[in-house]
Amino acid sequence: MPSPTLQLQAVTRRFGPVTAVDRTDLAIEQGEFFALLGPSGSGKTTLLRIIAGLELPDEGRVLIGGQDVTDLPPYRRNVGMVFQNFLLFPHKTVAENIVFPLRMQNAPKPRRDEQLQWVMALLRLEGLEGRYPNELSGGQQQRVALARGLIARPALLLLDEPLANLDRELRSEMEVEIRRYQKELQIPFIYVTHNQEEALTMSDRIAVMRSGRFEQIGAKTEIYTNPASAFVATFVGHANRLNARILGIEGELARIEWGGGTLLVPRPKEGASGSNVSYFVKHEDLQIDLAASAGSAHIGVNRLTGMLRDIIFKGQTANYIVALPTGEDLIVSGTPRAALARANDQVAVSWPVSVGACFPGSPP
Amino acid sequence: MNKNPTGKTPAGMSLRAAARRRPGLRFAALVGPGTLFIVIGLLLPLLSIVVFSFWRTESYVLYADWSLDNYRTLLGQAAYRVFFLRSLITAVLVTLVCLVCGWPVAYFIARHGGRYRLLLVLLLAAPFFTGIILRIAALQGLLGPVGLINMALSLFGMPPIEALMYTPFASGLGLVYLFVPFMVTAIYLSLVNFNFELLEVAKINGARPWRAFIEITWPLNWIGTAIGMVLVFIPCLANSVTPRFLGGPNATSFGMSLSQQFGETGTWALGSAMGVFLFLASLLAILLIAPTIRLKRSGFTGTSL
Repeated sequence: MPSPTLQLQAVTRRFGPVTAVDRTDLAIEQGEFFALLGPSGSGKTTLLRIIAGLELPDEGRVLIGGQDVTDLPPYRRNVGMVFQNFLLFPHKTVAENIVFPLRMQNAPKPRRDEQLQWVMALLRLEGLEGRYPNELSGGQQQRVALARGLIARPALLLLDEPLANLDRELRSEMEVEIRRYQKELQIPFIYVTHNQEEALTMSDRIAVMRSGRFEQIGAKTEIYTNPASAFVATFVGHANRLNARILGIEGELARIEWGGGTLLVPRPKEGASGSNVSYFVKHEDLQIDLAASAGSAHIGVNRLTGMLRDIIFKGQTANYIVALPTGEDLIVSGTPRAALARANDQVAVSWPVSVGACFPGSPP
Repeated sequence: MNKNPTGKTPAGMSLRAAARRRPGLRFAALVGPGTLFIVIGLLLPLLSIVVFSFWRTESYVLYADWSLDNYRTLLGQAAYRVFFLRSLITAVLVTLVCLVCGWPVAYFIARHGGRYRLLLVLLLAAPFFTGIILRIAALQGLLGPVGLINMALSLFGMPPIEALMYTPFASGLGLVYLFVPFMVTAIYLSLVNFNFELLEVAKINGARPWRAFIEITWPLNWIGTAIGMVLVFIPCLANSVTPRFLGGPNATSFGMSLSQQFGETGTWALGSAMGVFLFLASLLAILLIAPTIRLKRSGFTGTSL
């Protein structure tokens, strides 16, 4: 069996009393687009720097292509890296910036030119060869940085929030582009971001990081629909958080009382009758109807009634904020015409009992 | 200067309002005094020296007899050629030594100085708090026959180091001591504006440390380095103090000879010609180094990082 392109074994890095990366294991396969998702300070950038060799781990090993590179300096690791602030060499032209890695490898001129042609075409940079970085737009600078990272066909490409400095429109365009390069080149990309939409759009697999540890690693749909912890459930997607107490267990379901009604929710892994839980259900899993037209509750469906307080129009979707009689709010996401409801109408919110995730939680 | 094209200020308008209306007026008020000082204090003396260099001195009196005699003497007599070559070689060597000594120090302060950076740079400037003569005298106390080094050697029964006692070498050492702070400061000021992250980028892209230095650090800090070199080279070329105190009989420099023309021998016209010559030599040095500074490639106009 071929060894994975990148393997981390119990990698740990401490900065004084802070453990930035805590006994982390990871294996990344050839051709994979992997996202490291986490809030700032979760250790994701430190982990990336350890892979690059810019930071040495206190414990653990780093293997690239089966070879132990833990003690190798960055210039002997054959990885590419793209930074948030581009970090192009300001005194070199676009072409000089891009061929830099090949020159450092002492590649012959014909090969350098050939690779330059290829990567300029791939990133649609033709015609900019002679420009200096300060003469480029942000998006062009980012593409030059990507070209520099890719020209030597590294074993893997590390991207540290590469789109954070771009404006929104350009960002979504680049998200698609970067994924296209990755699929074309079949080089594993490790993409650090705190932006869940970027991670969901681009990657195949996601690791959610928190305080130097992985909360969950998995396919992005898995992370999205089956969060492994309350942290993942809040961090990925937009969910309502319902804090309640378990009244009883019914097979795979738990009965809780919340928002003026009794609800059935997926049963938490641990937690018996009487324990506190947090139940997370995504905005888009809820359905909203006018209370009058909704009829009565069905088996297998949770149903709460309340007053529609506001509609936040977002274009493709709208968020309906429903105030429940007990004072809590529920947010329902739907198409702007999902309900013919208006503010102050009485509405019913319903969802299947099997959706969402429940974790041991704080008291309601 | 700066006449109002309409000729007068409209009646009833205060000066301040007039200045606001016409930014040129305000600009002239700001720039004028400094420019005037530079013209009177710097350019006029220089001009007079150029004029004197074509005159003649006899018995401490200047005569306005126009000729090229002074330049003929200067270029024709072997002594002046020796003085100049000696000064030139000294200046080049001292500049190189300052460069080699200054770069690592400046780099260390900029990179690892942390919150002590300012303090370390101030320490470099500490010798300036005294005077130049005092510093040279202190060096004499260190290098001379009864100086610290040779005294210590003789205590252990070893012969003194001849090269340290009143030689051109000692004179050059004194120059390095005097001018290395300029070099360090110039390079340091360049390095504090240098983005060290670029070195990480270079390393990830396959550059070994020395290659990263040559490719990134050196070119992006060339302006500071070049300024440091000019700041060391030009005063060294004109230097007259260290050979007088440390150099002994075989270290007479061009600058030392020049100052003698204005002092002991009173041949001001020849001295002026030497001054013009020195000025041209310095100008040539700057003209040689200037084209190597390409702003576009310096990073000064680079991306805001």
